[in-house]
Amino acid sequence: MFSGDSAPVSKPGAKGKGGKFWALRDVSFTVQPGEAVGLVGGNGQGKSTLLKLIAGVLLPDEGGVAVHGGVAPLIEVTGGFMGDLTARDNIWLTAGLHGLSKAEIGRRFDDIVDFAEVGDFLDTPFRHFSSGMKVRLGFSVITTLDEPIVLVDEVLAVGDRAFREKCYKRMDDLLSGGKTLFLVSHNEGDLRRFCTRGLYLRAGSLAADGPLEDALAQYREDTGHRRSQPQ
Amino acid sequence: MAGQVVTARIGTLWDNRRILSLLVTRDLKVKYADSVLGYLWSILEPLAMAGVYWFVFTKLMTRQVGSDPYIVFLLCGMLPWQWASAVLRSSMKALSKDSKLVRSTNLPREIWVLRTVGSKFAEFLYALPVLALFAFLTRAELSWWVVFTPLAMLLEGMLLIGSGLLLAPLAVLYGDVERLMRIVLRLLFYFSPIIYGLNDVISGKRHLGFLAHFYILNPFAGILDLYRTAFFPEDFAGWTPVAVAAVISIGFLVAGIVVFRRLEGTVLKEI
Repeated sequence: MFSGDSAPVSKPGAKGKGGKFWALRDVSFTVQPGEAVGLVGGNGQGKSTLLKLIAGVLLPDEGGVAVHGGVAPLIEVTGGFMGDLTARDNIWLTAGLHGLSKAEIGRRFDDIVDFAEVGDFLDTPFRHFSSGMKVRLGFSVITTLDEPIVLVDEVLAVGDRAFREKCYKRMDDLLSGGKTLFLVSHNEGDLRRFCTRGLYLRAGSLAADGPLEDALAQYREDTGHRRSQPQ
Repeated sequence: MAGQVVTARIGTLWDNRRILSLLVTRDLKVKYADSVLGYLWSILEPLAMAGVYWFVFTKLMTRQVGSDPYIVFLLCGMLPWQWASAVLRSSMKALSKDSKLVRSTNLPREIWVLRTVGSKFAEFLYALPVLALFAFLTRAELSWWVVFTPLAMLLEGMLLIGSGLLLAPLAVLYGDVERLMRIVLRLLFYFSPIIYGLNDVISGKRHLGFLAHFYILNPFAGILDLYRTAFFPEDFAGWTPVAVAAVISIGFLVAGIVVFRRLEGTVLKEI
């Protein structure tokens, strides 16, 4: 389904004196269809970069990424929406941009609207939406895409309690439908709930790849260790 | 090697043509959705410019260039130029303006440039009724040479796609590009046959000597001259400038595809 062959991305000037900073380096792994992978690690250790490489919105400077199947990226979910257009227009456009045909969008349109609970605001310009509504609509459109690979970057953290429950339900459905999942989260509960395998990224390299609990344990050990050091 | 890259990219883009038309439709919707004067805005600039030049050249000064009716002559050059300058200006923002969209969709990135060329082309077509109106008012006659207008559009389209593919990534990486292009655009306006005809430059009447030969290296010379034959076939300066424009346009297209491909990864990290 997916394999990453030591795919580094450099961010010039991000660190060091004129030298290159590698956001990811020597990270190699293969994921089978239907696996649910949690990405574990602190801020700035390369989790989001890795997701973007899989989504194809960043290109590796060295090595390669091979993804066999379409990707539904829950990354910057509201990014594709235009403030000046109505919710209705935005649904058509964004779903279209992610590759759904007109007939498919027509069939799923009501589902998208119901799930996002924006039925009364379909003809309201998107910029008037509350941030919660924006995220709901984004989540709803992207999870309706029906792609075999789903990438989730922290979106579960937003939205109120009721909507979070719906998101969990939708994620469960996606997983039981055989989707491959990548989840980035700092919430161990979320990771445990959905993921079986864990990838632990530390300073841009793969520090652990195995059962989720092992990855979490190592992450905890590292952070605990760091905390006990005198600063 | 470059040939393979070029054909492969064109193939992927062709697969995404539906998405391209979606983006163009969206641009037009955004442009015309909100304002009552939406359509008028799109023709106001060429109209105002043409009005000024018409006033200066037919009312104030004795005009020694171009043909009559001068307003039609002007618009024949002005409207295609408007397409070009709009594309050259906005392709520099093609990747940064919708950076969130670029960062969240795995589309061939060239599509953001093509979308700019396409939307501006649609606006160009929308402005053509203005030309038709003035042609009607001044009784200018459309000649059968109008069959070459699509060829002129094709050449200009290739040139604009090529330059857009060059400008879009370069403008993200180097801030100077935008400032430089502002000057280039102004120079190009006066060095292209818009307020005067190509014949005025290369017919030899003005004894420009070798300058006339350099002049047709500007691809807009041949392209705008070909557009103009639709109403002024007798002013046509011949096929040599058109052939030169075709070669240069194709050159720009290939260079654009190759350079865009080279810079794509770096640009994605910057936006």
